[in-house]
Amino acid sequence: MSEEHKQYLKKQKIRKIVIRIIQIGILILLFGLWELSAYLEWADPFITSSPSRVVKSIANLYTSGQLFTHLGATLWETVISFLLSTVLGTAIAVILWWSETARRVLEPYLIVLNSLPKVALGPLIIIWVGAGRSAIVTMALMICLIITVISALTGFMSVDEEKIQLMRSMGANKFQILIKLILPANIPNILSILKINVGLSWVGTIMGEYLVSREGIGYLLVYGSQVFKLDLVMASTLMLCVLATAMYLVVALIEKLISRFY
Amino acid sequence: MALLELKNVSLIYHSHDGETEAVSDVSLEVGEGEFVAIVGPSGCGKTTLLGMIAGLIPPSGGEVLVKGKPVSEARNMTSLMPQRDQLFEWRSVFRNVTLGPEIKRNKDKEICAYADELLSKYGLSEFRKKRPSELSGGMRQRAALIRTLVTRPELLLLDEPFSALDFQTRLTVCDDVESIIRKENKTAVLVTHDISEAISMSDKVVVLSARPATVKKVYDITLDKNIPPLKRREQKSFPVYFRSIWKDMEAPHE
Repeated sequence: MSEEHKQYLKKQKIRKIVIRIIQIGILILLFGLWELSAYLEWADPFITSSPSRVVKSIANLYTSGQLFTHLGATLWETVISFLLSTVLGTAIAVILWWSETARRVLEPYLIVLNSLPKVALGPLIIIWVGAGRSAIVTMALMICLIITVISALTGFMSVDEEKIQLMRSMGANKFQILIKLILPANIPNILSILKINVGLSWVGTIMGEYLVSREGIGYLLVYGSQVFKLDLVMASTLMLCVLATAMYLVVALIEKLISRFY
Repeated sequence: MALLELKNVSLIYHSHDGETEAVSDVSLEVGEGEFVAIVGPSGCGKTTLLGMIAGLIPPSGGEVLVKGKPVSEARNMTSLMPQRDQLFEWRSVFRNVTLGPEIKRNKDKEICAYADELLSKYGLSEFRKKRPSELSGGMRQRAALIRTLVTRPELLLLDEPFSALDFQTRLTVCDDVESIIRKENKTAVLVTHDISEAISMSDKVVVLSARPATVKKVYDITLDKNIPPLKRREQKSFPVYFRSIWKDMEAPHE
């Protein structure tokens, strides 16, 4: 290795460390300022809460045994709706790819459903599927499903026509074209849909919990704001940040693993 | 008997704006072991014609016969090499070249051995397990050609297989492909808009008119077939063919 290249690598390494330090620094600074402003009463801690109050609030939840009930409920709903919407959405996209008639018939319906703000369906969902967990999952499913169908279908349709012709010239039937060409060609596309769906299923779940729930992070947020326990609201928000990021990282890891074999 | 016979083949496209005649009354014969190039102005329906020979598009009129059988019953006798190599990125080179047998569900030991034989014969055996992206442009084209050969077709159909390559690669790949096809003793139909390519590679050049495509002229190419196509371009009669075909293609459509 040349001296110049060593220098280059060293520079890159230092740069990476500096960026990490700044990132952590910003976090500490923000929380420090937040704590300080509450301590010095620049802001009313009753309204803005403070890191120490947040920690206390989480500790309270833990000692009363509620913490994992709430986290578990939300996590369960999110994971279920994430999996359901990905599998169902891809399956529907396969059907639409298969049948041009179905595709053309359903196109306007997809456009309408995609444009509709799904939250508006909340009251209907509660009446139809009942005010429980199924309503929350349905809400999240509504939010994720249509966009999954549309993006998966777009990916399926954009496979090079010449590749399809090549397979047909080899005598491939439609099922073989699907299994050996369309689906494998779309693995990167489906992986990126997974990443979008992680975020959307969180939106759906929290939205659902706002509407109906007796437990979960969404419930804590609504409850906390109604009884003006801003510590609880802040604590829930922070826990949500951590959980959502963790789930995103898990999906990103899966993507990395798959693309290594892909 | 000719290996490939086109009898009064025509094709009419139907669309919202009406019908378009793409191919009109084309008759053509390709003998066993012959290398035939089809040239014509761009958009004249060359690729459509090849699609009909491959059995992908049913003709509106006339017949396409391979060894005397309608092409729809002769699927296993033809093999298509598309414009771009269209190797599947998620498959290894070996799994790419054996795609045809895999689809026909006859990927047995014998075929795999044949695929390996072709790969090593044409310098790709060490890339057997590599992904197509690790191959150079010329190597990708060779892999695509081997994929076409693996099914042991009677007739190779080449649809402007070099159009996506840069000029230099194009000339070497052209030599490469021509020599492989001659060595394997295959019959081939090449569609191209490149007149020099057509003259230098083939035994016979078929000139098509502008749309709707009809056969305007057929040239028997008498260049020395024992030297590579690039060298054939230096032979005396090469520019004569070129000028003549160029004129045919340039002439306004009557």
